[in-house]
Amino acid sequence: MMIEIDSLSKSYNGVRALKGINLKVESGEIFGLLGPNGAGKTTTIRLLTGQLRPDSGGAKIFSRDVFQEREEILKNLGVVPEETNLYERLTILQNLKFFCRLYQVDYARIEEYLEMVGLLAEQDRQVKNLSRGMKQKVLLIRALLHDPEVLFLDEPTSGLDPGSASVIHRILQDLNREGMTVLLTSHNMEEVDKLCHRVAFLNQGQLVEQGIPRDLKLRHSRQQIRIVYQEQEKIREELLDIQGKESAEFIADLITEGRLQAIHSQEPTLADIFVEITGRELD
Amino acid sequence: MSKIARITAVLIKEIQDIRKNPNILVMYALPVFLTLLWNNIMPGMPPAMALSFGLLFLVVMVGMYVPSMMIAEEKEKKTIEVLLLSPATPAEVIIGKGLLTLLSIILVAFLLMLIAGNQLQGLLTILLATAITSIFAIFLGMIVGLLAKNQMSTGVVGMPVYLLLLIMPQVADIGPEPVQLLANFLPTYHYLLILESALTAAAGPAESLFQLAFIAFSSLIVFLGLLYIYRIKGLKG
Repeated sequence: MMIEIDSLSKSYNGVRALKGINLKVESGEIFGLLGPNGAGKTTTIRLLTGQLRPDSGGAKIFSRDVFQEREEILKNLGVVPEETNLYERLTILQNLKFFCRLYQVDYARIEEYLEMVGLLAEQDRQVKNLSRGMKQKVLLIRALLHDPEVLFLDEPTSGLDPGSASVIHRILQDLNREGMTVLLTSHNMEEVDKLCHRVAFLNQGQLVEQGIPRDLKLRHSRQQIRIVYQEQEKIREELLDIQGKESAEFIADLITEGRLQAIHSQEPTLADIFVEITGRELD
Repeated sequence: MSKIARITAVLIKEIQDIRKNPNILVMYALPVFLTLLWNNIMPGMPPAMALSFGLLFLVVMVGMYVPSMMIAEEKEKKTIEVLLLSPATPAEVIIGKGLLTLLSIILVAFLLMLIAGNQLQGLLTILLATAITSIFAIFLGMIVGLLAKNQMSTGVVGMPVYLLLLIMPQVADIGPEPVQLLANFLPTYHYLLILESALTAAAGPAESLFQLAFIAFSSLIVFLGLLYIYRIKGLKG
């Protein structure tokens, strides 16, 4: 097990931000923590990186206690925070070289990663003159310079244009294929659905559901399909149960008569499931 | 070795950053400008006095302002968070920032001596006193940086101290008795005394031993204060 969270609780000024959550992330997984703003996602990341101390409970990464062996853990951990906390007056290259010096790793990785995200030609531009998407790519590279085994990303594509978000997604998938374990937080259910092997829903400091996205959708499915068919001159729609002889015969008749136009799965999205469980919207 | 490498990394980063930071560059330019002004526009002012006031301004304003701004900016822009997730320890970050301030003060001090036409008279004493007083000011500036929530509030927190350390020694000899009494407790007053004897009588460090010891002791007290504030506030505030 790469990450283990055991009954982790944290309060701020008397408000319980996390209420005893339990979570396990396996090696080589992309795990998504899904929840609206204020659900406790960032608090979870801050606890896992040892930036905060819990009120109770514990957490382990690489089977090491986060709060006892933080320095050892951080050597193999990359973090992309929600804030674009780069040195704005420095260039991209100066920012990245600074962290290479701190981690004492070769500068060669910088060029490799800048090429991968399409920023090699921009390396001498001051960070303050970059777009949000460019900055996010630099943050990602910064987190990868020391070749970590585990990567944490807090809302990695929040506020990004679709093109930049897509580049970030592709890189994360490539890194994961090479064996990197990724824990990301998001309130973007499409992103989580696309990237994550497993997801957990966090609401008001509690984990309310977790599992493989496909399994969650099946578990919360109403077991219905929507069919679109032609009746005389009109197009009609109907909801049918996916189990049962009646539905099968109805669809078979439509196909035989050449009247079937479309069949739509009524599988819920992750956002639908979240609303169903919590009664709250994700955004 | 890796500690030195990380301190050097912070130092290099700060050198690159400071060159593009007009707020801080102004602080370096001011003592140069003021020394030039006193030297050329106020002919009645003795060169030693112009240089002493320039050095005092340099040590207090740069020594306190630069580290306080650097720490407050790291907190305000949350860059300190990622820095503390790296192998760099808070002590290494602070030493790197302090070292840059100290080295730059020594460089500018040389420049001020050249501007004032000083023939490197009392050089050793001046450099020693400037270095020790700068360390005092840097520790104080770091405390301001730890206490301030953001760059803007460093002025609010630090200004009374800047003014006290800067103005009180200059008016001590002409002011009322309480001012003179208070000035005796300020390291910057003793710094001015050292400068005066070095520049006018070419006094060596041995002749200013009491003043040097007072400033060193004050630095130690402020360092202990810095440790205490750090324990309470941490580098992230």
